[in-house]
Amino acid sequence: MVKNNLWQEFSKGLFKENPIFYIVLGLCPTLAITTSIENALGMSGAVIFVLTFSNVVISAIRKFVPEKIRIPCFIVIIASFVTITELLMQGYFPILVKHLGIFLPLIVVNCIIMGRAEAFAKNNKIIPSLLDGLGMGMGFSLAIILIAGIREFLGTGKILGRIVFRCFSPSFVFVLPPGALLTLGILIALFTRIKKR
Amino acid sequence: MDIKTILMIIVSMVFINNFILSKFLGLCPFLGVSRNIKPALSMGLAVIFVMTLSSIITWLVYRFLLLPLNITYLRTIVFILVIATFVQFVEMFILKKSPALYRTLGIYLPLITTNCAVLGVTVLNINNFFVNNKPVEFSFIYSIIQGFFAGIGFTLALLLMSGIRERLLLNDTPACFRDLPIAFIVASLMSLGFMGFSGFNF
Amino acid sequence: MEDNLLVSFWPHIQMKDSISKIMWTVFMCLVPAGIAGVYFFGLHSLLLIFISIITAVLTEGSIQLIRKNKITIYDGTAALTGLLLAYNLPPTVPFWIPIIGSFFAIAIAKQAFGGLGRNIFNPALSARVFLLLSWPTYMTAFVKPFGSADTISSATPLSILKEGEKTLSDIGLTYMDLFLGRRAGCIGEVAVFLLLLGALVLLFLKIITLHIPLSFIFVLAIFSWIFDKQGLFKGDVLFSIMSGGVILGAFFMATDYVTSPLTKKGKVVFGIGCGLLTFIIRRFAGYPEGVSFSILIMNAFSPLIDRIFKPPVYGKK
Repeated sequence: MVKNNLWQEFSKGLFKENPIFYIVLGLCPTLAITTSIENALGMSGAVIFVLTFSNVVISAIRKFVPEKIRIPCFIVIIASFVTITELLMQGYFPILVKHLGIFLPLIVVNCIIMGRAEAFAKNNKIIPSLLDGLGMGMGFSLAIILIAGIREFLGTGKILGRIVFRCFSPSFVFVLPPGALLTLGILIALFTRIKKR
Repeated sequence: MDIKTILMIIVSMVFINNFILSKFLGLCPFLGVSRNIKPALSMGLAVIFVMTLSSIITWLVYRFLLLPLNITYLRTIVFILVIATFVQFVEMFILKKSPALYRTLGIYLPLITTNCAVLGVTVLNINNFFVNNKPVEFSFIYSIIQGFFAGIGFTLALLLMSGIRERLLLNDTPACFRDLPIAFIVASLMSLGFMGFSGFNF
Repeated sequence: MEDNLLVSFWPHIQMKDSISKIMWTVFMCLVPAGIAGVYFFGLHSLLLIFISIITAVLTEGSIQLIRKNKITIYDGTAALTGLLLAYNLPPTVPFWIPIIGSFFAIAIAKQAFGGLGRNIFNPALSARVFLLLSWPTYMTAFVKPFGSADTISSATPLSILKEGEKTLSDIGLTYMDLFLGRRAGCIGEVAVFLLLLGALVLLFLKIITLHIPLSFIFVLAIFSWIFDKQGLFKGDVLFSIMSGGVILGAFFMATDYVTSPLTKKGKVVFGIGCGLLTFIIRRFAGYPEGVSFSILIMNAFSPLIDRIFKPPVYGKK
């Protein structure tokens, strides 16, 4: 029974409460960096890392933090993990950091992370919070990799940098901002329809 | 000071690199507060105000605190804290001085703290107007202008969207497109129009 | 009568004629300019026009079938969208371009909003800008009139002007060429004379009013005249009006009932905005022509304009 519950904490983020398609949170990085799958993978790694660890720490200190100053405390914790991520990635993936640009530091204000801290981690034990963070992070990743895949394929004719069809004339608009908004709009409509059935 | 550079910053922030339609910064408030025109306008004004003042404060903090102490890697943490504290102060100040203004702007202020557009513009200021950790000439003034007009661009997109969404409310939009998806498609078509300004040069 | 009932919400204009009658009238008024385009650029353009119209009508019909709505493909709105899109294409694009464009126009820009009368943006123009940004190489490849498609490629007068400080005679054209349409350009935009003739019929039948086209063209002309590349007050007014898509855009697309403001004052503001934006994009931005972009942007402004210049409440002064 307990095991089942824990599995639910993890899996709800993947589809049923997918942060992007159903809760529609954390959109800024979603759209800006989804021009290629590679960027999306980098962003996913960073977000899963920050989300999981900040969830764990916030859950661990939930009993000591006064209600009134919780938001600044959460922000400091999240910002610390973002800074750690930034420094790590600068060390190991300098090119990726260049591609992600200002959107890497902006993970701090990604609504998903604050949202999970407020909605879940501050009221739950460490293990469920860890799984919630992992699950939501994975759900976020699946969504942005899907969007990035669609945009990269339609916009450049490539998947992971490799040309797929020779005779396909890519629609450049999909790697431009309007294409991002269009892709997300249609995908949310699609998922809403699937959920209704 | 170079008029051309200033004009380029203005056009870039309002049209070409519009925070919402091109950089996707501040999408959450953009979708959340764009259902009616009046709250959209209030939110827009609050954002312009906070963005301009945050640009000033974070520039000063970066130039006179982080740089001399050589702790620029703490930029993200420091900026978000500065912005959060500053917004808190503004909220308290407005509540005391003008309850009427508080009723229109006040409720949006806490929302702005986690608005990525505000942190975004301050980080962008540092990226654009500091070269090798040294401020470029007139860096401070450029930062203020960039902050102010990024807010104007945000407000413009927000107002247009709210006008459109008020009209869409009366429509028989297909069920699965209702509300958010159609808002994204509207934003996409607006963004298509704004792409006309790309390659702008005097 | 039945067609009248279908338009449940927008436009609120009192109309004696049914929607379908108006749409087919506009369609017929556009046909001569298309014939001229086919005469200048060859049979390929005719096929593009047909493909565009057929795709638009089929898309409209199948979406209405799926949504179990009443099928209204005979009312001419989808056909008109297809026709206008084709008129905004260069005469040499491959056949799949109008297919994708018409599909985008009807499915995304119109039916996703709920269909006729509910769209915010002009469907044909949305699709054209979508195509222009997607396949810039195809969408900016123009040819001279009376040449075979593969041999004589040529830039439009506007893009030649954009590249250097040149005047009309440097390009080798006369005002008469521009007026009759003997120049490189999109299929339906070149024949200025025939477009004006069609617009005159629409004005006479009171299907369109002069507010939008006049303010659009006037503002564009004034600004092009004053702020020319070669110095103040040196611009070529006639050239700026006749060399791009202004006549087609101002009379036939900016005047679309659904996507433009309702009141007279609102229409004038809308037209001024279009003219100003067209001038700014032509003069300073990367694209040689800005008509489609500016009408699209002003479409987004039109609900706000309507709010500022509210139509008078019936029965009140």
